[in-house]
Parts: sequence; C-alpha cells; structure tokens
Amino acid sequence: MNGRITTGMLQRNILADLQRSTSQLSRTQAKLSSGKEITRPSDDPAGTAKALSLRESLRGTQQHAKNVDDAITWTDATESALSSMTDIVQRARTLVVNGASDGTDQTSRDAIAKEIDQLAESLKEQANMRYAGRQLFSGTATTTAPYDAGSDAYAGNTGQMAREIGPGVSVNVNTTADTILGSGQAAGDDKLLDTLRDISDHLRAGDGASLRGTDLDRIDKGVESLLTARATNGALTNRLESASSRLAAVEEMTVKSLSDTEDADLAKTMIDLTTQTSAYQAALKAGANIVQSSLMDFLR
Amino acid sequence: MDGQLGQLSDAAAAEYATLTAPNGKVHLIAKELGQLNGAISDALQTGSTPNDLMDRRDLLFDQLSELGQVSLTPQDNGSVTVAFGDAATPLVDGTTVTWPQTLTTPNGRLGALKQLSDPGGTLDTYRKSLSAAARTLADSVNDLHASPPFFTFTDGSEAATLKVGVTASQIVTSTTADPGANDLAGKIAGLRSGSADAAYRTFVSTLGADVNAVNREQANAKALTQSVDDRRTSVNGVSLDEEMTNLVRFQRAYQASARSMSTMDEMLEQLIMRTGRVGL
Repeated sequence: MNGRITTGMLQRNILADLQRSTSQLSRTQAKLSSGKEITRPSDDPAGTAKALSLRESLRGTQQHAKNVDDAITWTDATESALSSMTDIVQRARTLVVNGASDGTDQTSRDAIAKEIDQLAESLKEQANMRYAGRQLFSGTATTTAPYDAGSDAYAGNTGQMAREIGPGVSVNVNTTADTILGSGQAAGDDKLLDTLRDISDHLRAGDGASLRGTDLDRIDKGVESLLTARATNGALTNRLESASSRLAAVEEMTVKSLSDTEDADLAKTMIDLTTQTSAYQAALKAGANIVQSSLMDFLR
Repeated sequence: MDGQLGQLSDAAAAEYATLTAPNGKVHLIAKELGQLNGAISDALQTGSTPNDLMDRRDLLFDQLSELGQVSLTPQDNGSVTVAFGDAATPLVDGTTVTWPQTLTTPNGRLGALKQLSDPGGTLDTYRKSLSAAARTLADSVNDLHASPPFFTFTDGSEAATLKVGVTASQIVTSTTADPGANDLAGKIAGLRSGSADAAYRTFVSTLGADVNAVNREQANAKALTQSVDDRRTSVNGVSLDEEMTNLVRFQRAYQASARSMSTMDEMLEQLIMRTGRVGL
C-alpha cells in the first residue's frame, strides 16, 4: 500500500502490533484471574443484561425459599400445639365418659369437673403458644395472646398471614384459635371451650343425661374440628416442602445459567492465553530483529 | 455512582478550561505560531530558506491538531493562517493571535472533553438516566408506602440524594394496624422485576453498549491514524537503508571523481615530465 517504507514506520507498526497483543493478553489474563467472562458491562452488553435479570430472579428464588422455610417452621409449631390440644381433648372425653356413668358419685363428679376446668385452661395455654416471639393462633394480631387468663373470649383477629412462596403464589400459614376453641360459654358458639365449660357445669349439677347425650357428641365434634385443622395444616406442610425442593431446583438451574453467562470457560481461556503468549513472543522476536538490522550492518 | 460521574464531569470541564484559558496550551501554541509566521516571512524576504523554523512550525501544527480541528491556509509571504475548531476568527493570521474565542464543536481532544462535560453531554445523560431509574424505584415504593414516604430524594438529583426516609420502627408492613399482617410488604416485594429493575437494567446495558462501541471506534480511529501517518512518513520520513545507499553512492562518486583527478594528474605528469626534454 505504501510506496516507501521508512525505518520510523516499521518501528511504529511493530509497537502498535505489540500493543495490540499486550492488550489482548491482559484481557485474557483478567478473565483467568477473575474467572469471569464478563468483568464489566462493555465486555458483553447483552450478556450483562441477561446476567442482571438472572441474578434478580436468583435473589427472588432465594427469598421465596426463605419464606418457605419460615412457613414450614410456622406450620410445624402449629402442628405440635394442635397435637397437644388433641391429647388434652381426648383426656377430657375419657373423663366425660367416666363422669357420665350413673355409678359415679357426686364427689367424683366434682373432682372430674375440676380436672375438666384445668384441661380447658391447658387448651388456652396451648393456644397461647408463641413462635419466635409471635402468637401462633391470634391471626395477624401477633402481639396479642388469643386468650387472657380468667376469660374464654378470643382476643385475636381472623386475619390471614400470607407467605409468598413463588412469583405471585401466596399461602396462608396460620390457624386461628377461634375456629377450634371458640369464645367460651358467653358466646355459646358450641366450640371446645364452650363445650368443656358446659360439661363442667353438668358434672357439678350431676346432669348425667346431658353428659351421656349431647355433651359426648359435642366433644366428638370438637375432636373432629381439631383433626380437620391438623389435616389442613399437614397438607400445607406437604405443599410447602414440595415448594422448597422445587425452589432449590430452580435456584440450581438459575445459578447454572448465570455461570454459563458470565463465567469464563477455563480450558478455552487457558488455550487462548497460550496462543496469545506465543504470538506476543513471536512479535517481540521479529520486532527485535527488524529494528536492529539495517544496511549499515552489511557494509564495511 | 452519581457522585463519581459528577467528579468525572467536573474533571473534564476543568481540563477543558485549563487548555482553553488565556495563556493555556492553545494560546501558547498560537502565540509561538504567530512569532514563527513573522520570522519565516522575514527570512523569505531576504532570500534565505528558514528550514529549522518551518520544522518547528510543523511540530506546533501537529500539537495543535491533537487538541482540535485545525485547517491551514498558506499565504504568499510564507506565513500560514490557522483556523481552529469552529472559532469565528482565524486563531493565527500572520502575526495576529485571536484567543480566547467561543467553540461549539472543536473536535479533537477539546471536543471530547466538551462532549463529556457539557449539559446534555455523555456524562450528563448517564446521570439523568441513573436518576430516572432511582426516581422510578422511589416512586413505585412510595406509592405503596406513602406515610411516611419510604424513600426521600431531591427533585432533579434523585440518584445522589436517594435515601431511606424511615427508621426501622416507622416501616409500615400492612394497611391494617395488626403487627402480623404483611399485605403491604408483600406488594412491595411484588415490585421485583418491575419498572425500576427494568430501568436500571436498561441503564447498565446502554452504558455497556456505549463503552463497547467507543472501544471499537477507538480501534478504527487508531488504524486510520496509523495509515495516514504511514502515508506521511512514506513521503517525508527517513529510511536508513535509503540514506545508506545514497551515502555509498555519493562516496563512490567522490571516489570516482578523485580517481579521475589522479588520472589527469598522471597524464599531465607524463606530458610535463617525460616529453620534449629540450635543453637537458
């Protein structure tokens, strides 16, 4: 292209070529030492945008996994409280059967009535169980105990506690005590507390007919409502556990495709580095030879 | 990040001001060019060729054209009129120097600095889109968490002034007063992948694409510069081989003429010393 090649031109061309090789080498070295294909957005703008949205969905998945873990411990705590309640109600049922028989005298019935009262208090204690400082059975009024000592009235609310376990997927994790235990005799809602207080009254009054009749049915209904609550809660736990493993799989997939997008292919980069190093050395050697020699070396 | 962009912009503006100030680099080069113009036309009038002055002037032209677009108009008296950038009056006309002048698009290094730091320039645009992304984030969260506003900022410099405006105890998680309710928190979490994320992602990929394009353009410009420089040196550069060859050629010519002198001398010697020995 150029008619006449001058010494300065040669030198400048060699310098420019060396510069190009060095900058390629430095980029490859940066890739190797950081392990990343993309170290700054300009390396691959489209890849950067993809990596950003992948990282965003990774964060989302991780947060959902945390929500699921929280929800699972919540349902586990609920289950353990409900299971204790079932034991208590079963014990109450045995006592009612004992007390209902006509062979039981009034002293024994009074004693049984006392125990029933204690069992009702235990039910309230179980309902007042807290998990991580929050009331399990109070709805969304998590700082208010569902039952105050000396009162059977439910003090919580019916709020649903939602946990987001996937994009746009929420589950309600809480069980409220009013659906199982109710608000006692004053409300007359036929729930467990109402039933137990009535049974205690019937025992003290020696009303064997009511005990044998409606009271047993009512306590059975109470057991049933407990079991229903436990079944719902258990199904929720199952669902949460499958969500947890699904989220783990999604997270792994996202991490993999993030790594595909922004991590350097080590073998390829290594080979690139070797190729570029030898090209650089060849350029250096050729440059050294050309720059040194001139016609002057061949004339005496 | 907004602060860094601001510092960068300030640094570019400061360098532009230093270069173009009275007695800055442009002015100093222009003054020396004016003096050289005078000296060269004087020398030409007396019939001599001031090669070293012209070389010095060429070097100054090179330096000046690094800073901005330069066009040269040679005059009959040997002086050169220099137009610089899009300045209204020639920078150097004979021995007259007109500086400072207003430049809009001077090109060269000054043009780049100006484009970086000017309002509406590259850095300003980046700061604006960063602020727009910050504004979208703040607005979308504040729409849900309005009292007190979750984010506070100053209009016009959102990216620099964006702050969380609430303390931990002021954060509202629900539209109801129940401590366990989280409907609002859930809605805010639902903003993920929304317009604020998209705005920031667009900003990052635009920035990346810009830098990528600039890198490519730089490589092209380098190749072009080198090719033009090669053209120039192929005309006015020095090839050692060529000079050596000329040296040998002239040396040989000198030897040849010396040899012809000695031949002539020998002939004369023959003529004078050996012929017609009259009177001996």
